[in-house]
Amino acid sequence: MTLNKDHIGGLIFLTISVVYGYYAYEIRMFPGDQFEPFNAQTLPIALAWVGGLISLVMLVTAGRSQEPNPNLAQLNFLLVGKLLVLVWLFAQALSWIGFLASTILFLIVGYWILGERNPRTLLLASVPFAVGFWLLLAKVLDIYLAPGKLWQMVLGA
Amino acid sequence: MWDGIFTGLTTAVAPFNIMMVVVGCFCGTFIGMLPGLGPISAVALMIPITYGLDPSSGIILMAGVYYGAVFGGSTSSILINAPGCSSTVVTAFDGYPMAQQGQAGKALALAAYCSFTGGTIGALILLVAAPALATVSLSFQSSDYFALMVLGLSAVAAFSGKGQVLKALLMTIFGLMIATIGTDVIYGIPRFTFGNLDLIDGISFLLLAMATFALAEVVMTVLKGEHKEDDVPMDMSSLGSMKLSKEEVKHVAPTAGRSSLFGFLVGVLPGAGATIAAFLAYGVERNLAPRAIKDKFGKGALRGLAAPEAANNAASTGSFVPLLTLGIPGSGTTAIMLGALIAYGIQPGPRLFVDNPEVFWSVIISMYFGNIVLLILNLPLIPYISRLLIIPRPILIPLILFFSITGVYLVSFNSFDIELMVLITVVAIFLRLLSFPMAPMLLGFILGGMMETNLSRALIISDGSLAFLWERPLTALIMSIAIIALLLPIFGRYIGLKRFSADSLVVADKGEG
Repeated sequence: MTLNKDHIGGLIFLTISVVYGYYAYEIRMFPGDQFEPFNAQTLPIALAWVGGLISLVMLVTAGRSQEPNPNLAQLNFLLVGKLLVLVWLFAQALSWIGFLASTILFLIVGYWILGERNPRTLLLASVPFAVGFWLLLAKVLDIYLAPGKLWQMVLGA
Repeated sequence: MWDGIFTGLTTAVAPFNIMMVVVGCFCGTFIGMLPGLGPISAVALMIPITYGLDPSSGIILMAGVYYGAVFGGSTSSILINAPGCSSTVVTAFDGYPMAQQGQAGKALALAAYCSFTGGTIGALILLVAAPALATVSLSFQSSDYFALMVLGLSAVAAFSGKGQVLKALLMTIFGLMIATIGTDVIYGIPRFTFGNLDLIDGISFLLLAMATFALAEVVMTVLKGEHKEDDVPMDMSSLGSMKLSKEEVKHVAPTAGRSSLFGFLVGVLPGAGATIAAFLAYGVERNLAPRAIKDKFGKGALRGLAAPEAANNAASTGSFVPLLTLGIPGSGTTAIMLGALIAYGIQPGPRLFVDNPEVFWSVIISMYFGNIVLLILNLPLIPYISRLLIIPRPILIPLILFFSITGVYLVSFNSFDIELMVLITVVAIFLRLLSFPMAPMLLGFILGGMMETNLSRALIISDGSLAFLWERPLTALIMSIAIIALLLPIFGRYIGLKRFSADSLVVADKGEG
């Protein structure tokens, strides 16, 4: 038997429902809450059961699905991985080098990852945009953007 | 009612709010034009900006963006055969052939006039229907609300495509599960936080919307290698005449009228949305057309373009009826607006009409203004706005990514939110590859909190008995409709009701739900 999209989807949601259900029963309550008609566990437990039931129905009926499986070889997971790592690094960089420098670096590296190699374009499409956006936030809208720990350590500000 | 209309009119005509309509329509048109980014993403991208505005201005801006995005989607459908959102997929059937025949200007003008007709008729019906429904729903109790939410969530499954019913239901449950993360609003007990302080307040709906729509859609474009494609095969400077002859206007006027009414009614149904309205209106119009015109459908028929355009705009307006009167979103986009209203401390529902008449009426009135703006401002500017499509994708994609993540960061100033976005985006990509629709999850997430509160109240009032589901006639009626909505996809197949949605399921995930 070949696993199709619905089999995989059903299995994933069955797992989610079981794990969610396990933790739903672990939710701590105040003494006496268990005797109330509705408590903090009621909805999560109901959701876990309904989710598990629908997942099982999906698994049983998955054989009828005629949807083609995605051709994974045609999908560029590496490029997407690089972009998502870049987003994650942007999150880390914000507290260290501040909003402006993080934005400039994020955009330059992002353009680079997607194939832009012209240094002029890389700089012109990032620096003026980042500076303009930073000025809008910090000076016009008066939003406080922390300068970054690194600059504070180096400059002692 | 007239006092409310006057208050709304005063709010809507305030210079700042008119500017919001113009800015919203303009930004929406641009974002909607970008293939892959639909109204949901466009509205989600605007949310961080609206937090700095008062509720009326914020919602007016979002409504403008919604309209603009649907219109922008039509533009890219007609000019480059790349629908910006699923509700404008049908527009490309006849719009693109017209553009290829050198009638791009005429197609754009017709799309704008029909959108205007759809929006106008929709806004007029909304003006009458919304307060009437709001008055009736003032008598609703917790049990009725709980039943209404069940109906809203089950309707999503009813209107999902063939083979998608179980997936839509599972995604709804998944959304409800995510909504339970954080401190329980009734008992104040942390649930599923695993000791992480960043999760105590739960996951913000903005984060979820951005990660599953704006960010995931851009990432999917890269994943499929579509970022390398060049979208601009046509010369934007030679769109041809934008004028329609008297005969052409006479030919399409009945179509626009019919489709507007039809679109509005479909839009009111929770979960149906503009996509299904457009597909249905196109199908109905083709069946009504005489043989000679029927053969032209798909090859540049004016009626084939007019029907979906009028219907999708009227449906966009219609989807505001359940949002404004019952607090239940009619589509993915209105689900995001519901979240934004809640963030403002405004509870949409029957009380909105009484407690915040300025929000209720100014949104309705500004919708009409939005239509006028689209017609008199955006239409002449289309040749210029469409040049923005020339921006290379390697430049555009990091910018959209940047706006998506900073939109969330600038609300919380917590870099954990960006890390969580990455995680949710990864999950969303895998679910999209497995053809799971995202809109039901968002709907489940947004309705989850309200559903739990109302269920809790109803159960406590009935002393733990589930009898409230059938003892109160109104609750029983709504629950019966919800059960029919759930069973419809199973039995509808046998009576031919599902034919229309088979085509839409492929694109139902893209933007408009």
